[in-house]
Amino acid sequence: MIEVKNITKSFGDLTVLKNFTVNFKEEGVTVILGPSGTGKSTLLRCINGLENIDSGDILVDGLSVNDKKNLRHIRLNCGMVFQQTVLFPHLDVMHNMTVSPIKLLKLSKKEAEERAEFYLNKVGLISKKKSRHNELSGGEQQRIAIARALMMNPKALLLDEVTSALDPEMSSEVLNILEKLAADGVCMLAVTHEMSFAKKVASRILFLDKGSLVCDEPVERFFRETRNENERISRFLNFIGE
Amino acid sequence: MQAFEKYRSLRLLDSLQFLRGIGVTLEVTLLSIAIGTFIGIILGIIRCSKNKAVSSLPLIYIEPLRNSPLVTQLFLVYYGIPMITNWMPSAFTCAVLTLSLNTGAFFAVLVNNSIKAIPQGQWEAGYALGHGKTSVFIHFIVPQAFRLLIPQAVTLYIGQLQCSSYVALISLIDLTKTGETISLRTMMPFVCWGIVFALYFIISFPLSKLAQYLEKKNEFAY
Ligand SMILES: Nc1ncnc2c1ncn2[C@@H]1O[C@H](COP(=O)(O)OP(=O)(O)O)[C@@H](O)[C@H]1O
Ligand SMILES: [Mg+2]
Repeated sequence: MIEVKNITKSFGDLTVLKNFTVNFKEEGVTVILGPSGTGKSTLLRCINGLENIDSGDILVDGLSVNDKKNLRHIRLNCGMVFQQTVLFPHLDVMHNMTVSPIKLLKLSKKEAEERAEFYLNKVGLISKKKSRHNELSGGEQQRIAIARALMMNPKALLLDEVTSALDPEMSSEVLNILEKLAADGVCMLAVTHEMSFAKKVASRILFLDKGSLVCDEPVERFFRETRNENERISRFLNFIGE
Repeated sequence: MQAFEKYRSLRLLDSLQFLRGIGVTLEVTLLSIAIGTFIGIILGIIRCSKNKAVSSLPLIYIEPLRNSPLVTQLFLVYYGIPMITNWMPSAFTCAVLTLSLNTGAFFAVLVNNSIKAIPQGQWEAGYALGHGKTSVFIHFIVPQAFRLLIPQAVTLYIGQLQCSSYVALISLIDLTKTGETISLRTMMPFVCWGIVFALYFIISFPLSKLAQYLEKKNEFAY
């Protein structure tokens, strides 16, 4: 569903992704691992068209991100949630969830609200539907952001370290939700440092280092064998205490 | 007792004139802040363009007006326009024209700053949901920028109300000019200017309280 074809992305002199190629099917959870500053966020942002790529191509559902006309379709199909949660501060939770489906998917207000209630139940926050972002904890905000992304019925969720800014308790709230969604069959591409989540939920692990793909393997093999075979990976895993 | 009589007669005869003065002051001010706000919104949005050539274009208009005294601008229009064209605008037209352009320049900066104050993440959150640029701007940026803008706009409007007193210098009979005329005739400058002072204050003060209130009310953290 997502084909990243030999892309290069630089910021000024800094080449962040070099001739990077990878494919994602519309299934399961892929966890992207790697040290900070290796281009994991940049990869997700390129897929979602938030960054322009210098060369190569990314196809989502066969549509290229290089063509601006496709961006809307691509973004509707790849919901994205950021490390730093961004709720719209001038809207309450319900309106945060419904404004986009009403405007972009042409749902009626009633349909949008019903869908919002469904997803708010899913993330366990139906009681907060009238709250503003500053009345919510970080974990709650992040769960709302996930629910808001799901409102658009994306084929995949791009998750960029969605728990890194949270304390352990809140981050396990969020991870539980993601686990539930994965069990429902939601396809995810998740950058995370949460190894227990990766082991439990992921089917596939990508390891990035310095802008290139070091390995791309099924989760069992990654944690059983690759981690011992590859020195960079074992150093990384030891470093984050795994 | 004679002085008291004179004071009374001043009040009876001239209260109407003060009212007319307020009328002119308000008319000039309201018209020019309305036009200025319109100009400011358009130029402020153009200032936000990513294209440097486009975004710096409005500066040609904004910077000279922000960096020269309003009185000079007023004289330039009032005395200058009839010289270089064969149009003889009235003092009222010149006043509204100058104040509008002046307000527009300051308002453009307020609009631009309010839009730029919205974190980039808000744009990206909108894009990530599938909105285009215009849609993000309308649904997410404008409402947030508007809240930042309102209290600053009110403050600017109060300033422009006060600056409108300069139109007295091009012989428009506004509140200030009325004060001057009556004060000269009655030889009671303290009373007359006191009245003018009080009238400006009565209009401005509630507005500045409103600005403070709006500023408090619209505070939100990201
Ligand atoms: N907008 C940007 N401008 C300049 N440099 C950037 C920008 N975004 C990311 N970078 C740089 O690109 C590199 C990769 O960043 P990122 O993709 O965020 O890494 P990761 O998510 O793996 O930690 C980093 O060195 C970062 O400083
Ligand atoms: Mg990152």
